[in-house]
Amino acid sequence: MQAGERPIAAPSGLRRFHAALQLQLRVIGALLLRELHTRFGRHHGGYVWMFFEPMLLAACIAGLHTVLGHHLPGDMDIPSFYLTGYVPYYLFRGIINRSGSALLGNAPLFFHKQVTYLDVIIARNALEILSVLFVQNFLLYLVGVFTGTFPDNPAQVSLGVLLIGLFCHGVSMAITAATVIGTEEVDRVTHPMTYLMIPLVGAFSMIWWFPSDMQAIMMLNPTMNMFEYIREGHFGPMVPYHYDMTFMVSSVIAANFFGLFCLRAAGNKYPYLADV
Amino acid sequence: MMELRDVWAGYKVHGREHMVLRGVNATFWRGDAVGILGRNGAGKSTLIKVLGGRLQPKSGSFRHDPDFRISWPLGFTGAIHGSITGADNARFVARIYGRDPYEMEQEVEAFAELGSHMYKPVNTYSSGMRGRLAFAMSMAIDFDCYLVDEAIAAGDARFQSRFRNAMEERRDRSTMILVTHSAGILRDLCTSAAILQQGKLAFYEDLDEAISIYERL
Repeated sequence: MQAGERPIAAPSGLRRFHAALQLQLRVIGALLLRELHTRFGRHHGGYVWMFFEPMLLAACIAGLHTVLGHHLPGDMDIPSFYLTGYVPYYLFRGIINRSGSALLGNAPLFFHKQVTYLDVIIARNALEILSVLFVQNFLLYLVGVFTGTFPDNPAQVSLGVLLIGLFCHGVSMAITAATVIGTEEVDRVTHPMTYLMIPLVGAFSMIWWFPSDMQAIMMLNPTMNMFEYIREGHFGPMVPYHYDMTFMVSSVIAANFFGLFCLRAAGNKYPYLADV
Repeated sequence: MMELRDVWAGYKVHGREHMVLRGVNATFWRGDAVGILGRNGAGKSTLIKVLGGRLQPKSGSFRHDPDFRISWPLGFTGAIHGSITGADNARFVARIYGRDPYEMEQEVEAFAELGSHMYKPVNTYSSGMRGRLAFAMSMAIDFDCYLVDEAIAAGDARFQSRFRNAMEERRDRSTMILVTHSAGILRDLCTSAAILQQGKLAFYEDLDEAISIYERL
């Protein structure tokens, strides 16, 4: 709101909502730009790292498996298989691991009362999702240049990455809310957990490899469904895929509602905001 | 106008509630320049945080006119991000308050007189330079109420006089709430004083009376 602009005496609910939405979008936009500056800065390559960092690890892992020549069931292309696994996993790990320090790292911003915890979390995760979406498509096409097989349905690959991002966004809000207890305590649990999750999220295995009674259990894992969805988007109908769109979307919604609820419950109880 | 009615506020440390403000009543009008005195730990910063909208009172009410724009608490720490430049900070603040970022950057540069430091990370600033940046940013937004820590006024002589002039110029249209320990600054800038003690705020129209009571605390 400009200094000279006076709000109408009793603005209607819709008008108030519109004003609040505009303010929130403005704040998130400003936070996105600021996050770019603080995370990547202008020196030592700057923004290049936003894309190069996830690429470096993903390319190394995919390259390693290609050189080792592990044969994959169904003759799936090795670099593409690891890229469709590692890059979305990088998003998962990036969002979850960084959610513990989301508020402490941005403590100075909360002096401006229009900046809320939710705005900061949205801006951080949006940046993470955008950079990974770009990297995922870029690397898959780059591999395509050498192998001649390009993503079968790039929109499906991107939607799958987006679903993983939004699901993790919901989980990250809950983790950030848990830092009411203490940032370090939460980080000590989440960091090892993201390692332990490597075989469980579905990044490096596919459901059809397993016996059918096991498949039913694996289908209950939302990220497992999402990885299958991404792989179908890339490889097309060459192996069987197992996913349930309704389940994926509802788990994203459920995770986000749960996260918002946790954040709300944590409210103003952040002890460290007292020290800044 | 803004008003505190029986405000209780504080923190939870290790699961135990610690109330710093215990029933604060106050009304601030446009044009007031109030100096808040109080010993270390009396709750001055807590009071400023409640007024700045960053800390919700545990009980009681804090209300202000809808068009009454209150600044963030101006001090060395807080509200400024250290790892980005002064110019980045100015543009960020402009964006969240709905001003043109580049116009604001120029205004801040002109007021704070940081020269080439404006384009260096704030972490490299001296505390005086940080104070200048924070103050220049708040001046560029043009608030109705300024929440100021006296430490910010303790820049070099040139900045001190600019600070006083700027505050003087805004006196009729803005409210200023200044946290201070110094009788000199209080007499210079404030028209009334309040002492925060044992979680309650007592107002004094007479500055000398307030100072003598404060010195005996």
